[in-house]
Amino acid sequence: MMQKEHTASGRTGLTFFETPFGQFSARNWAMFFLIIMVIIFSLTGSGFFDITNFQNIIHLSTGTFLLAAAETLVVITGGIDLSIGYVYGLSSVLGAKVMQVLSSSNLSLAWVVVIGSAVALCVAILPGLGNGILVTRFNVPPFIATMGMWGICNGVTLFFSDGFMPVMGAPSIINDIGNSYFLYIDPSHNIRFFSKPPSIRISEIRMLIRLIPNSFFLSLLVFIVINFLLSRTKFGRHTYAIGGNKDAALRSGINVNKHLIMIYTISSFISGLAGLFNLFQTGIGNYTPSGANYELMAVAAVVIGGASLTGGKGRLFGTVIGVLVLAVLENGLQIAGISAFYRYIGVGILLIIAVIIDRAFPDFF
Amino acid sequence: MTQIAVNHKNLSAETIGKNWITLFLVILVIVFSLIAPAFFSIDTLQLILFNGTEVFLLGAAELFVIITGGIDLSVGFVMGFSTIMSSKLIVIFQGFGLPPFMSILSGSLIMLVIGLLPGLVNGWLVAYLRVPAFIATFSMLGITHGISELMTQGVPTKNLPSLAGIIGNGSFLYISPDRKIHFFTRPQVARGQVVVSILPNMVVFAFIFILIFSFLLSKTKFGRHLYAIGGNIDAAIRSGINVKKDLLKAYMISSFFASLAGISYVMKYITGKPDAGADLLLDSIAAVVIGGASMAGGSGTMGRTILGALVIAVVQTGLRIIGMQTFMTYILVGSILIIAVILDQVFPNLNR
Repeated sequence: MMQKEHTASGRTGLTFFETPFGQFSARNWAMFFLIIMVIIFSLTGSGFFDITNFQNIIHLSTGTFLLAAAETLVVITGGIDLSIGYVYGLSSVLGAKVMQVLSSSNLSLAWVVVIGSAVALCVAILPGLGNGILVTRFNVPPFIATMGMWGICNGVTLFFSDGFMPVMGAPSIINDIGNSYFLYIDPSHNIRFFSKPPSIRISEIRMLIRLIPNSFFLSLLVFIVINFLLSRTKFGRHTYAIGGNKDAALRSGINVNKHLIMIYTISSFISGLAGLFNLFQTGIGNYTPSGANYELMAVAAVVIGGASLTGGKGRLFGTVIGVLVLAVLENGLQIAGISAFYRYIGVGILLIIAVIIDRAFPDFF
Repeated sequence: MTQIAVNHKNLSAETIGKNWITLFLVILVIVFSLIAPAFFSIDTLQLILFNGTEVFLLGAAELFVIITGGIDLSVGFVMGFSTIMSSKLIVIFQGFGLPPFMSILSGSLIMLVIGLLPGLVNGWLVAYLRVPAFIATFSMLGITHGISELMTQGVPTKNLPSLAGIIGNGSFLYISPDRKIHFFTRPQVARGQVVVSILPNMVVFAFIFILIFSFLLSKTKFGRHLYAIGGNIDAAIRSGINVKKDLLKAYMISSFFASLAGISYVMKYITGKPDAGADLLLDSIAAVVIGGASMAGGSGTMGRTILGALVIAVVQTGLRIIGMQTFMTYILVGSILIIAVILDQVFPNLNR
């Protein structure tokens, strides 16, 4: 210990951030912040520290997580995707529209849902393909290319939703799929999977225990797949390489153009999936309202999670923490009875903290 | 010979490339006029300028920051904040018993001072703490949005003096049927007679500031420094420019213009709401980029930005006049934005 103190370039003593614990806590400041926030909200708001509420937080932040996961991929390559918020709306509205049209035909319900979802997901690929081609073949900066695509997607969405009108008329079964839980335990301790016990009385419904929302599996699946891609495969290594130094990546023989097109397409596809989930969750095709800033919230989650907008840096796990920070902030404020508008201010301050920490410790991750 | 011919050919291609936005504007006007003959009139032109006031102001706001190589995402919500703050101030001053005109004037002036604050914080974060512009200004977006929502609690502001609407929707001069000219006040005429109104007040108001700042950008040392910072920040630092101070000023000018847009909105619609400028972010950046500025910084002029904003304003109002739905506006603006950048790649020496 003595020796270490004296070798540190003549200085005596280590500052807090040079100690291993300091390094660890600065690197994982978002996680610490999350834990502190959970403790504070548990003490202040009644009903926050509750399994139902935690499940709610996870269920309601599924869409944000998927968008943030999409954004993570693009941010790691050093780009940015501003179109995801409107791809989200496009996929939701389009899925609902197709299901609405098909349900008046005599197709079976399962086919209506499957075809609607498939169309929404297939169309959601197109903006990403367009973004990728614009960024690689036409050298349009990602900011502008995806911002133009934001306008185009918004326009197409409004075309399908007849202006600012949510699309109704999708079969109600999708609502059940989107909002049901993996298992239900009714008051007499019978267990059912995926659907509510049919015979339950209204008076007993409060005693029904619901565990693990279906949406959690969707998040988990996306997390596992993308995390595997990023950390275990050549695809992931190339993604980081392009973000770290594009020229070096080009010289080392990576097909940068093809890779970037794939990244933007995947990003767009996942946002489409998020929009489709939104349709399953609400039962309505929701357009993205102006000023919703879904894409910016996704960027916020990614940056709070420790990624750098200059590229080459970022982990999906960090993004999960970022999403949870945003979700807990919103939920906790609501339950504590504080105006939820403080969360906009909170997000702003958190982002600045994230970037200042990123500056102070450039060699993390 | 061939050399000259090639040069000549390049020259004409470059002229078209250079002025494609003017060409596009002309084509747009012709198409709209063919579809709806009523489009081609002085009234429509004034309507376009009137509807586009906020886009002009926010485009000017964004220009100052984009020239330095940054980006300001907060303009839309600073504008929203400004609509609320200024209308609240005006109502408060009216409560003190000030006459309507004085309360509007003092409310607006105080708002313009308060409106420098978001820019001050943005500039401080970007220049002194080296936070990327994207993050710093997005944080400011969140903070101004939060504050505006807290101030209104979901209810748009009201109880503004009716004089605000008269100023906001009035025109600079009116010509009555007997060819008399009236300034600011609409003459009383018999029913059925037409009063020609020229130059909406808000357009005059916007363009006074735009002209002043256009002068600042093109004719002063400060303007040249901004281009130098955007072109090569290291070279700018080495040549002795006080980069931090100039960046701070650029962000302050940006939020100053955003608050001007907010005041203009209050005058026009006699209300203030947090999301007044929410969907103007795309328009403001598109105006600057369609005007030929590069996101990398160091290029862009006020004149071309106004031209870019005019294209957007013509698309928005024109589509409404020919009876298209709003969705086409977004598609067109998005496409023009992308085309502008692609043309910028094809003709790289356009705006030097």
